[in-house]
Amino acid sequence: MSQRASSSTDPRFAPLPPLLTLEAVGKTFGSHVVLDGIDLRLAPGEVVAIIGPSGSGKSTLLRCINQLEPPTSGRVTLGGTVIEAGHTPGRRELMNLRRAVGMVFQSFNLFPHLTVLRNVSIAQERVMKRSRAEADKISMQLLARVGLADKAQQYPSRCSGGQQQRIAIARALALEPQIMLFDEPTSALDPELGLEVLAVMRELAENGMTMIVVTHEMHFAEEVSDRVIIMADGKIVEQGVSRDVMRNPQTERARRFLHAVKDR
Amino acid sequence: MTADMFWTLASGVPWTIGLTAVSLLIGVLLGIPLCALRMSRILALNLAAQAVILTLRAIPPIVWLFFIFFGLGSSVIELSPFQAGAVGLGLITAANMAEIYRGAMTAIHPGQWEAAHALGFTTWHRFADVIAPQLFRVALPTAAGYAIGLLKDTAIASTIGVAEVAFQASHVSQRSFRGLDVYAFAGLLYILLSLPIAWAARWADLHLRARVAR
Repeated sequence: MSQRASSSTDPRFAPLPPLLTLEAVGKTFGSHVVLDGIDLRLAPGEVVAIIGPSGSGKSTLLRCINQLEPPTSGRVTLGGTVIEAGHTPGRRELMNLRRAVGMVFQSFNLFPHLTVLRNVSIAQERVMKRSRAEADKISMQLLARVGLADKAQQYPSRCSGGQQQRIAIARALALEPQIMLFDEPTSALDPELGLEVLAVMRELAENGMTMIVVTHEMHFAEEVSDRVIIMADGKIVEQGVSRDVMRNPQTERARRFLHAVKDR
Repeated sequence: MTADMFWTLASGVPWTIGLTAVSLLIGVLLGIPLCALRMSRILALNLAAQAVILTLRAIPPIVWLFFIFFGLGSSVIELSPFQAGAVGLGLITAANMAEIYRGAMTAIHPGQWEAAHALGFTTWHRFADVIAPQLFRVALPTAAGYAIGLLKDTAIASTIGVAEVAFQASHVSQRSFRGLDVYAFAGLLYILLSLPIAWAARWADLHLRARVAR
């Protein structure tokens, strides 16, 4: 594995203690190893893009961070919350972790029976115990931020895919997460609609949001993220400063993947 | 048919409606925990729920009503015909509703659970705010169809003496020696009673579908 300029060595990240730490995180389904001893440290404000071939474990890694898939080995530390594989986390630990982690899914997963405004408000009421009025006010601000204040009273089915994904981002932001996970947020969108989602993500990154983005958008990975991680077969095969990794990969596996992507 | 016969038959309508409503209420509510057990990953609970559902559905309703009214009713707990009918049909409805809910559950995208988990919802809020409203929408047409079937099945309760429409029809026809018009009128009453259920279900379905059409 090449570790040219990871968070531990890059001077830009060195002074800050990590916000998120993964230590030897593994995940197996039966005898199938999906994640094999992943170590990762993420500094506050850092934007990391994870790229790699399908089935390399990228999405599973994200899902292990917020325990949608409990890891089978290793340890996840976020802020003061530590979750060890093999120990079922307590309800409070899990709630703390999930409140601190916003997640955006490939298929948006908005609640189809609720209006756009309600989609953004409901978790604030249920999880943060905000009043309806307060939650709605914050939701309107967030919808305005993603450019969709005029859709507040519509149902998600009336919105385009790009709009739905921006609503999903607003919904995740409403819980004031410390870190945002994006699981291929533009893969289900045609390129034009993907751009509007990427613009929102770029704005978030510029405003200091800590983000992990699993993506096939190579341009985004290179231009917006601080660090790129290339995964294959459940392992990190290379990581480093985005431009270096994307333009001059050191490992054979990373080179092969990037060639395949660029030749398309 | 005389006015007297008409009113006697019509006097069965509140009993038919009442028995349908109470049985449906028992079934709709009891179906939820039964469905939860049926979907449980704990094998013993799952198997127990399967056994209960199979038993309730495999035995004919009339046998259940006889068992409850003449069996339990005469030796264990005293039950009026209406109570016995409501308990029997209610339990059978619960088994069927559990299966209807289970079918509807498979229609809900797994991403809905995941989003609710990722947002940190408690088990109760996941169910009440996210899953149940969608489950209701998906299950509604099938459940309404079942409710119409249940309305007709309440006629079985005439055999244990619930004074509903079929009971009154049988009573009037035996007294008057007239079968054709009496039973035709009873049939007409059942049609008139089932129409509002069908209309209400159709209206609710269209209304909900328009709001959340994908």
